Amino acid sequence: MSRRRRRINMPRQGVPVTTARDVAQDPSRGRRFNIKTEVVVVGSGAAGSVVAHELARAGHEVLVLEAGRYYPSSQFTEHLGDTINEVYKDQASQLNSTADVLFVEGACIGGSTVIGACVMHRPPNSLLEGWSERHGLDQMTPEKLAPLYDEIGEEQFVHLNEAHEINATAHKVIQGCEHMGFRWRPVTRNVRRCALTGHCLAGCKPDRKMSALVTHLPWAVGYGAELYADTHVTRVRIENNRATGVDAVVRDPDTGDTVAEMRVDAQVVVSAGGAIQTPLLLQRSQAPDFSGELGRNLALQPFTQVLAEFPEELYGFRGALVGVQVDEFLESDGFLFYSALAEPEQLMAQGDQGVGADHINFMLRYKHLAGLNAFSIDDGRGSVSWDGGVNDGRQIIRWNPSRKEFNRIKQSASLAARIFFSAGAKRVYMPTYQRLEVDSVFDLDKTMDEVDYGLRGMYTFRSNSFSPQGTCRMGSERSRAVVNPNGELFDVAGLFVADASLFPEPMAAAPHWTVQVLAKHVARRIEARRSSLFI
Amino acid sequence: MDNRDSRSVPATFTAGLAPLSRRGFLRASVLTGAALTSGCATLFVSREPPEELIHDHLSPEEARVATRFTEVLLPTEEHGLPSSTTVVPTVGNLDGMVGQMSPQTRELFALAFWVLEYRPMASFRFSRFTKLDDRRAQEYLVALQEGTFFERGLVTGLKSLVALNYWRDERTWPALDYHGPVTEQWGVRPLGNTPPPRTAQGRG
Repeated sequence: MSRRRRRINMPRQGVPVTTARDVAQDPSRGRRFNIKTEVVVVGSGAAGSVVAHELARAGHEVLVLEAGRYYPSSQFTEHLGDTINEVYKDQASQLNSTADVLFVEGACIGGSTVIGACVMHRPPNSLLEGWSERHGLDQMTPEKLAPLYDEIGEEQFVHLNEAHEINATAHKVIQGCEHMGFRWRPVTRNVRRCALTGHCLAGCKPDRKMSALVTHLPWAVGYGAELYADTHVTRVRIENNRATGVDAVVRDPDTGDTVAEMRVDAQVVVSAGGAIQTPLLLQRSQAPDFSGELGRNLALQPFTQVLAEFPEELYGFRGALVGVQVDEFLESDGFLFYSALAEPEQLMAQGDQGVGADHINFMLRYKHLAGLNAFSIDDGRGSVSWDGGVNDGRQIIRWNPSRKEFNRIKQSASLAARIFFSAGAKRVYMPTYQRLEVDSVFDLDKTMDEVDYGLRGMYTFRSNSFSPQGTCRMGSERSRAVVNPNGELFDVAGLFVADASLFPEPMAAAPHWTVQVLAKHVARRIEARRSSLFI
Repeated sequence: MDNRDSRSVPATFTAGLAPLSRRGFLRASVLTGAALTSGCATLFVSREPPEELIHDHLSPEEARVATRFTEVLLPTEEHGLPSSTTVVPTVGNLDGMVGQMSPQTRELFALAFWVLEYRPMASFRFSRFTKLDDRRAQEYLVALQEGTFFERGLVTGLKSLVALNYWRDERTWPALDYHGPVTEQWGVRPLGNTPPPRTAQGRG
């Protein structure tokens, strides 16, 4: 392959991807094959796609490896249940070690950007200033990152929701906030001419969501990047403190059977599989961990969904999924709220705990419901670890709330309930493992007192995480951080991390925009050092 | 707001489990199983689930428990909805999902159904869940929901999976006034890939 690639035409729709089926049907590859490239990127989601585009545009040979399948938007069915089977990691059942916190993650070309809710949130300057000051990250000041935020904002069509993107659920939240005197605003989203299908979580069939499937990946391909789906990277090869490539297995996405083994020789390896998968890969690779922080400091930004029933028919599931946010408590308490009510299948993850007629009557009131997702900041006390051999081990995610974190979750859920009662809700369904329904704001505190911390807060609130972070934190001190301010592992030249693992401290804002900014930053630092990294 | 354990569950909710308190030894053993079901391996000594329950898809016994669970959770025909057992293939959908589960999740799932089936032995006169009549079976599930933390986890997890595999069927949606897929119906044109952006370094 030539060092500098000639730009080719970008496909109008879809992305050329080599799948397990392609590999199986190509006898020239055999059961084991090698690829040489300059840069191999592990993961094709928010971070990996940005890195691939940046480095391919700079003229590098780029290979992107994605463990999930290729599920092009032309095949989206707008059935959430089907999508869960096809592209959600572990069919949306990726859990912590006590099986009471759900980690929702995309496992497909485009990663979580395919199933995300389009929320783009630029964090307050105070957060970036704190990161910069406390972790010696001179490049992370608000002023220095501002151009990157602007670039991503332009690339992703980030805009403030317009009036037609505020649906009935969001209007109830606005109404409640106005009565309570809480600050709210329309959400900023990365969507181009939203078609208001309400199917964000099942993938955007009309290609309006600016997922990696329709932005950075086809752009990267336009500069010659290559993509493999169904390709699970087992380890990074490290020789003499230098990354030299990766080993991977190509698996049939339906049966899990191994189709081929792949060896990639590369001068730069970028891990961008997210804050769960990246530390697991580095642990499987036995990457040096001088600080002892690899896989630690896991923050979840846990959220629960509070559902409210109104007397009138809202059809709150129609229109743009996320309309408004409540940021009154963002800087004071670390709480953030987003209006949202998705497909009927989504209701299984929250709210109702009835059986028989109770459950069915709850579902029959679907068109009367509104939802508010209550996010609260946590303290980054969790961990991710790989237990066992490279090929037969398993991941363990450890996170249970401390009493302080438990109280934050409880408080944020209570605030969401108050907002709905102020908007006229006649009943609120609390997101707890025990069945809690509240029919009056005057009963709210008493009812919430029934949720006891118990044993490590287990099976109290039905918490979810869309945004794990912090497991390979970035910093200037080798004794406190896993990667340096360039995103490179302290003791392994040529091995970079470019995803939410980098966050040096938990953040209360939605992380998507910041993840893409950090990915761009890491890619630019790689390019700035091209003379020392590339032969 | 405090965290005192001031919960006072109405007696009707716990009636189904009342005899359990008189059989402490059984409670301890069954609840330990339930705790393991709930994935509490970090807190308790790990124990392998019964070997015969581990299969690629639902075993005959699991399918029997799942079907009974579906009947009790979703008595749909009484509400004019498509049957959860004869029209919507709820258990069949579940079986497909089980076939794609990771080994760890599959183990937990197998043990969860085992505990669900045998847990009433301690409180319902040595009856299995599948042998309880409709009223008692519903009482049992309600009691689990109001029970200890791992009982709540057990029943919530199973309920979510089974209900998901019913309500995902589009034949259930008219009753909810839910629109389902719309892009083709509305004639929304896919925009395809987004043009590369203009940046300081030039277009694309």
